[in-house]
Amino acid sequence: MALQESTKLFQRLKDALGKGDLSTADSVLSQLKLQLIQLPALPPSFEQTPTAQQELLLGREVLEQAVLLSLKKQDEAAMERSFAQLRTYYNDTRALLPASPSEVTMQGLNLLRLLVQNRIAEFHTELELIPPQAQQEPAILQPVQLEQWLMEGAYNKVLAASNQSASEVHGMLLAQLATTVRDEAASCSEKAYERLRVADAKKLLLFDNEAAVRAYAKEHGWTVTVDDYIVFRSAATEGTAAAKAIPSLELINNALVYAKELERIV
Amino acid sequence: MEIDKPEEAPKANGAAEPAAAAPPAATVEDKLKSVVALVEKSVKAKDTRLLIGRLLRQTASVRKQLTASSVKCFLQQTLPAELESRAFLSSHIEQAASAGMDAEEATTSAQCEVSAVIPEVELFAYLIVLIFLCDSKQYQLARGVADHALSRLAKFNRRTLDVIAARIYFYYGLSYEQGGDLASIRSSLLALHRTAVLRHDAIGQETLMNLLLRNYLHYNLYDQAEKFRSKAQKADQFRSGQQYCRYLYYLGRIRTIQLEYTEAKDCLQQALRRAPSIAHGFRISVSKWLILVRLLLGEIPDRQEFAQPGMSAALMAYFELTQSVKAGNTLTFKQVTDRFSSVFLADRTHNLITRLHQNVIRIGLRRINLAYSRVSLAEIAAKLHLASAEDAEYIVAKAIRDGGIDAVIDHEGGFMASRERVDVYSTAEPQAAFHARVAFCLDLHNEAIKAMRFEPDAHRRKAESSEARQERLAAEQELAKALEEDDGDDF
Repeated sequence: MALQESTKLFQRLKDALGKGDLSTADSVLSQLKLQLIQLPALPPSFEQTPTAQQELLLGREVLEQAVLLSLKKQDEAAMERSFAQLRTYYNDTRALLPASPSEVTMQGLNLLRLLVQNRIAEFHTELELIPPQAQQEPAILQPVQLEQWLMEGAYNKVLAASNQSASEVHGMLLAQLATTVRDEAASCSEKAYERLRVADAKKLLLFDNEAAVRAYAKEHGWTVTVDDYIVFRSAATEGTAAAKAIPSLELINNALVYAKELERIV
Repeated sequence: MEIDKPEEAPKANGAAEPAAAAPPAATVEDKLKSVVALVEKSVKAKDTRLLIGRLLRQTASVRKQLTASSVKCFLQQTLPAELESRAFLSSHIEQAASAGMDAEEATTSAQCEVSAVIPEVELFAYLIVLIFLCDSKQYQLARGVADHALSRLAKFNRRTLDVIAARIYFYYGLSYEQGGDLASIRSSLLALHRTAVLRHDAIGQETLMNLLLRNYLHYNLYDQAEKFRSKAQKADQFRSGQQYCRYLYYLGRIRTIQLEYTEAKDCLQQALRRAPSIAHGFRISVSKWLILVRLLLGEIPDRQEFAQPGMSAALMAYFELTQSVKAGNTLTFKQVTDRFSSVFLADRTHNLITRLHQNVIRIGLRRINLAYSRVSLAEIAAKLHLASAEDAEYIVAKAIRDGGIDAVIDHEGGFMASRERVDVYSTAEPQAAFHARVAFCLDLHNEAIKAMRFEPDAHRRKAESSEARQERLAAEQELAKALEEDDGDDF
């Protein structure tokens, strides 16, 4: 029977994931997905068979494991797809099934993923879907807090949080966050400071040693002076930029637009 | 297809007056009869614009005076006895009357004089019943009537029916929403929208799109709402001002959640401007969102916005919020959010309030920047109640990069120095502001021209006789008077 076979495959999947054997887990998952298509009670058909409850439960758990697997493989596209499928389960079967224990964790992971990829608009749309009580859960509170800190610019707090992560999968996502944070901090420093000592830059940009700082500075085109200062922009270059020319092209464009609109026959 | 018998209808309603000026002592039944005459006249002339305007205005004026018995009378007089709708509607009215608190008056047993009515009149009767049931808050019964009306509507394909049909869809949506069961009608609304687009039924399209957007937003499904809105076919020009208002409000909400604050502010401001002054509930909701969007953009709304008549009580929480944001004080901000958290939860704006935290800090920073030419980072941390000077440094750096404040940090000395003010007229900013205003005025001019409509037969009309002219003047006066006492709940 399709259901029993699927259950057996699912067991194998969980074991493979538990051992960290990603390739086996991958192949088992593909087999499982083919099996799941044959079960009629799953979306999008949602037929009411006698075993509908078990089938839906199984489908949901398979997708949850799929999400974890794609995280371990660092495959973001796969995680997005699995989570999109999982979301239909959470929304539409809320009345039919008991709440899943890992629902909050899954949503938290999704929020974290969106944050790391810097898709803040989607982050907020997803957040709207989560009811206020669930938002108090630590799994969801953490991404929300991180997003706030990112918006404010308190990058040191973000990195401190990323060093102490809840689980292995969280840790992987948060490691990616560190690179994003560093780039942001660098661009902020460019605008905010005139010059900065290398030792301080190391602390601010959260590097481990000075050589990394110098390499980074060279990448970004900052000049490093003899006495260990990074100069972001010199007064000279600023002076010439200040001598503004009349933006004649812009003025011409504007005047032409006005003339066209006034004469337009609507 | 039922045909209408024009000779009998006017004779039956001949006692009631010309549609233009109903005498003040007219009873409810007379008013309803005059509306029915109007409907029939418009259908004969195939003039739907007349329907949109005058029919609905007159219905709106009658609306407050409807009672169960008057509606029953109206049904008995207008619909022929053998029409099954009449029995259905009458039974619903009786249920409503027994559940409600209306005193039972002796109903006249006036019989209907026409043997057949045009579908418009029949569906108008449905509409009256729906309006009455929704006004008396009997949403269960209203649901039943609405379902029945929809199945009747599905049998017809007449353009003159569009206006009444659109109103019926609206009450269909309303009755389900009050019953708490919005999700179930989503698929039928989508099917109706498809049909409306296929039949080029502009007013139906608009109403249904707004109903669907409202449906999605009710469940916070912003993603789906945006996908629907971007893919659905829209007419260039919205026929109905009120529908356009609603559309702008929903669009503004979607844009706010997607962090596109400038566009959201535009939409919400336009919605507020176009809203009729009587539509209090709508204006309050729009104002709340507009205030939040402006705070998120970094501008503080004026005090007058909160002091509008009828809105000050509802906006009190937001007023306090604005004050704490303006002061840039994170502690008071936290206090205010905690105090009014139930209000914000009820308005479903609590997520936006959390986003405001960052703005509070930014505004506080800006005040410090303006006040001091040089201030140490430790001071900043103390004033803004931040955890440490290091945090303050990061936050200031980000604020500088985002263009919020104009300053330079000196890491060695550990202070922030404000930059010299540049005379703003020597930059290109006045030109940009001027260009924005000119572009807005030009757009307004174009839209106004597009919104003018000319009568299609104007070139064919012969010179008016004096009676025709008097009638036209009377109609225009009535129009002007009705526009003044605009009823906000109307189309």
